[in-house]
Amino acid sequence: MERSRHRIIFLLAIISGLALVALARSSLNDYFLSLINFIGIYAILSISLNITNGFTGLFSLGHPGFMAIGGYITAILTFPVARKSMFLELPQWVAGIELPFLPALLVGGLCAAIIAVMIGLPVLRLRGHYLAVATMGFIIIVRVLITNWESITRGPLGLNGLAALTNLWWVYPWVVITFYVGWKIKFSSFGRSMLSIREDEMAAACLGVNLFRTRVTALAIGAFFAGIAGGLWAHLVTAITPSAFSLMLAFNIVVMVVVGGSGSVTGSLVAAVIFSVITEFFRPIEEGYGLYGLGEISMAVILIMILILKPGGLFGSREPGFLTVRDVYKLAENPQTTRKEKLR
Amino acid sequence: MKRTTIRLAAVFTVVLFLGVYPATAADTIKLGGLYNLTGGMSSIDAPALNGAKLQAKLINAEGGLLGKKLEVVGIDTKTDQKDAATGAKKALAEGVVAGLGYGDTTFVMAAAPLFQQKGVPFVTSGATHPMLPQWVGDYMFMTPFGDDDQSFAIADYSFNKLGAKNVVIWTDNSMDFTKALSKFYKQRMLELGAKVVLEDFFMMGDKDFSAQIARLKNASPKADAVFISAIPNEAGLSVKQIREAGLTLPIVSGDGFDTELVTTVPGDKLANDVYFSTHTYREDTRPEVLAFVKAYEAEYGRPPENAFAALGFDAVGLIADAIKRAGSTDGKALRDALAATKGFKAVTGEITYSRPSGVPVKGVSIISVKNGMYKVEEVWYPQQ
Repeated sequence: MERSRHRIIFLLAIISGLALVALARSSLNDYFLSLINFIGIYAILSISLNITNGFTGLFSLGHPGFMAIGGYITAILTFPVARKSMFLELPQWVAGIELPFLPALLVGGLCAAIIAVMIGLPVLRLRGHYLAVATMGFIIIVRVLITNWESITRGPLGLNGLAALTNLWWVYPWVVITFYVGWKIKFSSFGRSMLSIREDEMAAACLGVNLFRTRVTALAIGAFFAGIAGGLWAHLVTAITPSAFSLMLAFNIVVMVVVGGSGSVTGSLVAAVIFSVITEFFRPIEEGYGLYGLGEISMAVILIMILILKPGGLFGSREPGFLTVRDVYKLAENPQTTRKEKLR
Repeated sequence: MKRTTIRLAAVFTVVLFLGVYPATAADTIKLGGLYNLTGGMSSIDAPALNGAKLQAKLINAEGGLLGKKLEVVGIDTKTDQKDAATGAKKALAEGVVAGLGYGDTTFVMAAAPLFQQKGVPFVTSGATHPMLPQWVGDYMFMTPFGDDDQSFAIADYSFNKLGAKNVVIWTDNSMDFTKALSKFYKQRMLELGAKVVLEDFFMMGDKDFSAQIARLKNASPKADAVFISAIPNEAGLSVKQIREAGLTLPIVSGDGFDTELVTTVPGDKLANDVYFSTHTYREDTRPEVLAFVKAYEAEYGRPPENAFAALGFDAVGLIADAIKRAGSTDGKALRDALAATKGFKAVTGEITYSRPSGVPVKGVSIISVKNGMYKVEEVWYPQQ
């Protein structure tokens, strides 16, 4: 009973989402559409980072690095063959291919995931801040590589004149897929092992959870979606440069995860919406009165307020009640909050 | 208690917003000013927007354009390409008749193609990559000279006037602008018959140039001059360290050296024998320059921060001039009028679009620094 009820709710949500997409595309101007697209891309980024950072408790800052990999690969693959030879000196076999958007995106995502596994093998032996520093190093390596590998990336100038392929019909399904994957992982036995690693590694290991393999998988899944988001990003902005994938971006995504609640898929989605909308909300005032930077300051104030009033993030580790099946999934909730609630 | 406070605060915020949201007046000609007013590029872009707004104000004080007021809507794109693309879409959705902005090529490349698509002209105030108009299309215009021109200017000067036959080239390898500058300098020096003895690299943010200086000292044959392709921070530091190491050879560069840091960081004694090519603005005494500096001081209470302020002023000037000649704000008519710009007396020099590349034919100042004093040595003009 409960299970089918919550399936229906999800289905209804997805369909009404599709209706909203159709409505938005017919009624809103390009500016609002691109805002919604960026919200979607940020949602993909924050949900996927939540799988790595929120569920498994790894502190990875590497997301922009994976985005850059996915973005550049997708961009190079979709670039028309005729223009490729004009701008880039690619190896013969790359110069001759021109893929449609979907396969290019998937290749970009998969490459990001493969690199995540390669990076993960040595780096995931580190924990806590050490992992944060190592993944920071990863961003720097990716950027330096892109900056200097001019024959393929055109260096700091980046690639431009990409086809504007990304629109809501692309972004929305990917948000749904990311959400679905995040949700399914969270409420599966694999997700439980992730959460158990986050809560207590030693206990998890004693219960037979393979710590290392779970961690690498978490990083690779996060990286796959980051790569997809990078590809969508590149074809939305229609230009891609190494400087876009900065440490600043990594922090922004981490902030979304923390504010939404580490381990809450819905929380990440909500935080991505809030953070993308607020700065735009202040734009008219910034522009009308010349108070530039007001949006950033307000954002910082809101961030501090949330952390004071709701230290565990908006949703903690939980999902909103109407979406979850009672009792069945209770185990997946953060044990600390449940204990507190019992005390009340 | 806590809940009520939060609710009250929320209600208060909403009310505040409804009251504060600025209303837009009809009867204005709107220009979209896309600039990075916050973040890393703000020291270059914020003065440019100030210059642009000043020009609009002066034009309005003289009765406006086509009987309407001119308004520059400043849009902050936060030194982020994503915001540059969104900002461009916002400006276009608001119905601007033309866009202007940016002191850096990468941001223009994120914004300008969207203007091109909609058939609305975009004038960059400070981005100098000579390929820009070709990359973007026929609705793209440049206010400044191209990087090739500024490099050719200083190359000609170092070869002909400084007698440099053997040069060393230092390049900031982290930016496209600095890389392009070095490329064009090297190209011209080789054409002139000089020899590039050594090429050395550093990265933006480097503080110590001792390794490069050691190689510069040992260069053989001995270097007659060193070309440093850098942006302001490294400009001051590199001059200081080269002079402290006892090297007295001339240091030459492009407009990245057009900053007070070249004299303030090394101090007046060491800031000697430095030559750079830049916009015809610093130390210039043409009436347009003097009037601009005076107006800027009156409006903002401080002298213009850098040449980008003047370039922003000129970008709006160019557009306003084209609107006047076109007698309309229609995209196509405005584009054609802009493309026909001839001998427009801008603060940063006369602007004519006569080259097929779309880069303006514009004078380039060669400025010398001797004992901390800036002086215009000559003004270089590209061959038509």
